[in-house]
Amino acid sequence: MAKPVVIVVGADKGGVGKTTVSRTLLDYFNANNVPTRAFDTESPRGTLKRFHPDITEIVDMTTTADQMKIFDTLNTVSPSVTVIDVRAGLMSPALASLRDIGFLDAARSGQITFSVFHILGPSIASLDEIAETANFMQGAKYFLVKNFINNTSFFEWDQSTYNSYFHRIKDATDLTIPKLNEMAFEQVEVASVPFLKFVANKGTSDEAANYSFVLRGYVRHWLANVWSEYDRIKLTDLVGASKAVTRSGEK
Amino acid sequence: MSFTPVYIVCSPRPLVGKTMVARLLSEFLLLKNGTVTSFDINLKEPSLLDYLPRLTETAEIDDTYGKMQLMDRLIIDDGEAKVIDLGFHVFDEFFKMCEEIGFIKEAARRHVAPVVLFVADTDRLSMRSHELLRRQIPRSTLITIDNEHILRGELRPEMSAGRMLHIAALPSFLRTYIDRQTFSFTDYLRQERDSSTELHQWIRRNYLSFRELELSLILQNS
Repeated sequence: MAKPVVIVVGADKGGVGKTTVSRTLLDYFNANNVPTRAFDTESPRGTLKRFHPDITEIVDMTTTADQMKIFDTLNTVSPSVTVIDVRAGLMSPALASLRDIGFLDAARSGQITFSVFHILGPSIASLDEIAETANFMQGAKYFLVKNFINNTSFFEWDQSTYNSYFHRIKDATDLTIPKLNEMAFEQVEVASVPFLKFVANKGTSDEAANYSFVLRGYVRHWLANVWSEYDRIKLTDLVGASKAVTRSGEK
Repeated sequence: MSFTPVYIVCSPRPLVGKTMVARLLSEFLLLKNGTVTSFDINLKEPSLLDYLPRLTETAEIDDTYGKMQLMDRLIIDDGEAKVIDLGFHVFDEFFKMCEEIGFIKEAARRHVAPVVLFVADTDRLSMRSHELLRRQIPRSTLITIDNEHILRGELRPEMSAGRMLHIAALPSFLRTYIDRQTFSFTDYLRQERDSSTELHQWIRRNYLSFRELELSLILQNS
């Protein structure tokens, strides 16, 4: 049986695009035929669940019952990949809980593949989280996701500041999520469908939709860029899946 | 016709005759098909709207909303030919957007046939822009316009290697005559009884070039 894979997507700071990145991950695994389930910790009303209702469950990660729901089922349910969208402010407590229940030890000993997508916004407050999160990252794949929610440069113009954040953690891998056109983003919000369905001009129940060709084009272009980053870090290898020959989003 | 042509008349340079080509083409398509929709994205120069106000809609691509208004119409296979007079100031933005949204591929899927009519010049910017288009647009649908009013020297071989459409120069008094906003090429053909006049022949020659271009498109898409 394949090793269970847990991907935590989070940040302590709000508004940095955690759910957006989670959605691109779910679309990526879907396009690569990797069975995936997701947990949305934005209890009681989850944004991720609105876009991926069939595979997403809303949980309150601070309760033991819901922690059991996620982690006690890792070896018993069929999707081998579990994506957890951790709401703002809960990243550090969630990682501390994972340490306390012995999950991080299990990851370190190789029983579980554990990855953290730490979503970073263009602010010092956001970057300051890196050092704190890094303390939990032994045995985990740690991805620093630079999410370009605006036209920021993530302090690349100031090399000492940039290096102090991005080159301090030895085993962390940088990922870049480019900025999506605002109107395109809003149109997908209104449609409440996964990015892939939007690109394919489909509604929530796979019915034909009538989204703007221009906005679909922007989303397709953006999604292709995001996925090329996932290809670069060999995400399908990480989850132990063989890559699909043709992905639906790239047809 | 089993496809909808979209003619994009463009150049990265001002005052090279884009609007004149767009006028000629719009009037030709109106004469031949009885209908045409022209878009003026050239509001910073003397533009199509001034000459063909009944056929022309204005469009802007400075923001996403404007892009949607234009491109969501261009991608529709409604059988009605469309002509775009693309201003020099939006040349880069327009083709960057086309690349990003996958316009050429999606158009092919939907039986829409974009044809880029690039009004050539010998300056470095035109060279670079033509090179960009050669990478982005299939060679069969990238037409280089050799406008004798503008081009005095030989074109670089890279530019003239593909398909060309020649527009002969007119004497300056006829140029001034056709530049009047009330002038119509088709009306002139209809009203001028003497078909041997230089202007009559010039218009007919250009209409013939457009007809040949359209025929080659039909063959290509059949």
